[in-house]
Amino acid sequence: EEAKRIMTTTPVIDGHNDLPWQLLRKFNNQLRLPAANLTQLNDTHTNIPKLRQGHVGGQFWSVYVPCETQNKDAVKRTLEQMDVVQRMCDMYPETFTCVTDSQGVRNAFQTGKVASLIGVEGGHSIDSSLAVLRTLYRLGARYMTLTHSCNTPWADNWLVDTKDGKPVHHGLSPFGKVRNSTSSGGIEGMWAVPPQASTGSLVMVNFYNEYVTCSDKAKLSDVADHMDYVKKVAGARAVGFAAGWHRVPTGLEDVSKYPALVAELLARNWTEEEVKGALAENLLRVFSRVEEVKRNLQGTAAHETPIAFEELEGSCRTSYGYPNTAGTARRPPAALALALALALPLLSVL
Amino acid sequence: MRERAIELMQDARLIDGHNDFVLQLRILYQNRLSRVNLRELNTTHTNLVKLQAGYVGAQFWSVYVLCSAQNKDAVRLTLEQIDVVKRMCNSYEELELVMTSQGISESRRIACLIGIEGGHSIDSSLAALRMYYDLGARYMTLTHSCNTPWSESSSKGIHNFYPDVIGLTPFGQEVVKEMNRLGMLIDLSHTSYSTVKAALNISKAPVIFSHSSAFSVCNHSRNVPDDILLQLKKNRGIIMVTFNADVLACGRKVVNISTLADHFDHIKEVAGSESIGIGGDYDGVERFPEGLEDVSKYPSLIEELLSRGWNETELKGVLRENFLRVFREVE
Repeated sequence: EEAKRIMTTTPVIDGHNDLPWQLLRKFNNQLRLPAANLTQLNDTHTNIPKLRQGHVGGQFWSVYVPCETQNKDAVKRTLEQMDVVQRMCDMYPETFTCVTDSQGVRNAFQTGKVASLIGVEGGHSIDSSLAVLRTLYRLGARYMTLTHSCNTPWADNWLVDTKDGKPVHHGLSPFGKVRNSTSSGGIEGMWAVPPQASTGSLVMVNFYNEYVTCSDKAKLSDVADHMDYVKKVAGARAVGFAAGWHRVPTGLEDVSKYPALVAELLARNWTEEEVKGALAENLLRVFSRVEEVKRNLQGTAAHETPIAFEELEGSCRTSYGYPNTAGTARRPPAALALALALALPLLSVL
Repeated sequence: MRERAIELMQDARLIDGHNDFVLQLRILYQNRLSRVNLRELNTTHTNLVKLQAGYVGAQFWSVYVLCSAQNKDAVRLTLEQIDVVKRMCNSYEELELVMTSQGISESRRIACLIGIEGGHSIDSSLAALRMYYDLGARYMTLTHSCNTPWSESSSKGIHNFYPDVIGLTPFGQEVVKEMNRLGMLIDLSHTSYSTVKAALNISKAPVIFSHSSAFSVCNHSRNVPDDILLQLKKNRGIIMVTFNADVLACGRKVVNISTLADHFDHIKEVAGSESIGIGGDYDGVERFPEGLEDVSKYPSLIEELLSRGWNETELKGVLRENFLRVFREVE
């Protein structure tokens, strides 16, 4: 009950939900199909009644497209996923409000709607084009996970072999939900952020069983253990929620169950302030800081050096615009990635 | 006459329907604006100084990507072209990006607008179309020189795509309807006559030809025959007459301002001057009439039309008012 009381004024802002992908899989993004009615959908983790019960006040909707689209139609498919989020907001205006900044989220809290934001999941969505990155931002994307479970031509350097189990310092970004992949493409892990509470780091804790217990079963208390751990190592101000509904723990079956997790945290002596931080305030702090950095960088020139053509794979591309001579200096992939992380004020989710 | 032309244009600066300068930026400079000075560039028909000398008040920048990118990376390439237009218009105080008829009317600079040239840019995705609109694109030419899966081009034999498509398929009709809903102008330059007729049938809003001329004067497949001009008049749309010497001349060796003015005269006779605008196609083709070599030369055309008895109201219509009417109705 205490959890619900707190969440009535401070609902949860969740960092990752793949409903848009389900809408594509099940309905080919045709939201007007009767079966696609979000108030009645009952075979997904997310629907409107459950969001309400779960006191969800903000959601980053993932516009994920699979790695198989890399070097094919990743860009178009990403646009289509962004479009379905927008249309969801248009179709259910009493429930959702699509916003693009921290103030928009706060306004949504006031009006009792679910602030809806867009997160791009995987650098393959930009097809190695800074122009596409800028475009996705203009269209409302507010974070990008730099890789999903595939290398991009420019993120190779950041991949760390997970098998030796060392925590990763990620020098390019202060934000940290770290997801690593080996080139065999499957093993992903989550690393604690080093104790740098002063940098404003944020770990939005995920509920996927494989990440929680490294097995296919987990319980709500296991998720709470992760949150306790992050709080211990990096401070309560570094904690957030990003359920990423997938194979779910017992006790956290769907988006209506957030209050149960909050109740567990309260039982573990988290203060109300710490809980509110994890629910929303930490994310809003980070988001505002990112916006501030953007304002400080106002007027700096857009980065426009294209990736070297030789670094790209796949036959579904043309090369015009590139000079015919071999005069283009080869740039190491990290340079492009550095340009991305430093110059562009997206929340970089790693 | 020259002075009258200039006075007229000072008062009613040109809205030009089609310019491929942005394609040249990619081909020549890889879209790297930091490497060029757009004011004085001399490798193109277009630069800012010349636009001002030509009394251009608004320009639709074509974000064309080659037909050979269809089924490949056309979407990404189009986004890159849209991005360079935005960066260009942000970087020069002479330019400002607008997206509405009001934006054009009120701008004291050179208003920049975005036109997509070729349905292949949307990769058969209505979502991509909507995103382009959100980014500021305000017209789409339904085809360039290649068929899309849903629309037929007037060009035959240049590309091999979708050879069985005639006019607009059912999906093509959806595209047109969605464009009406969004408020995006439907541009029929480069499309086949079947496509034109289908679009005129379905569209609830006036349509445009952003860069085409008169078939009766020169029977090139890029030009518009009289029967369609009459339908266009009923539709309250606009044909923005184009300067490409190859579509004006029909093999004649001498192509000059008079050749172009003949097209204007003919269309006025058939469809009325309120159906006429201007779409030069600078930096999109190689050959221009003598006297109209670059974007600073528009006043010479106006001078010629004045000397042929066109009055000021008609010319202000051609320069901007007709287009603004169409745009407002589409909005």
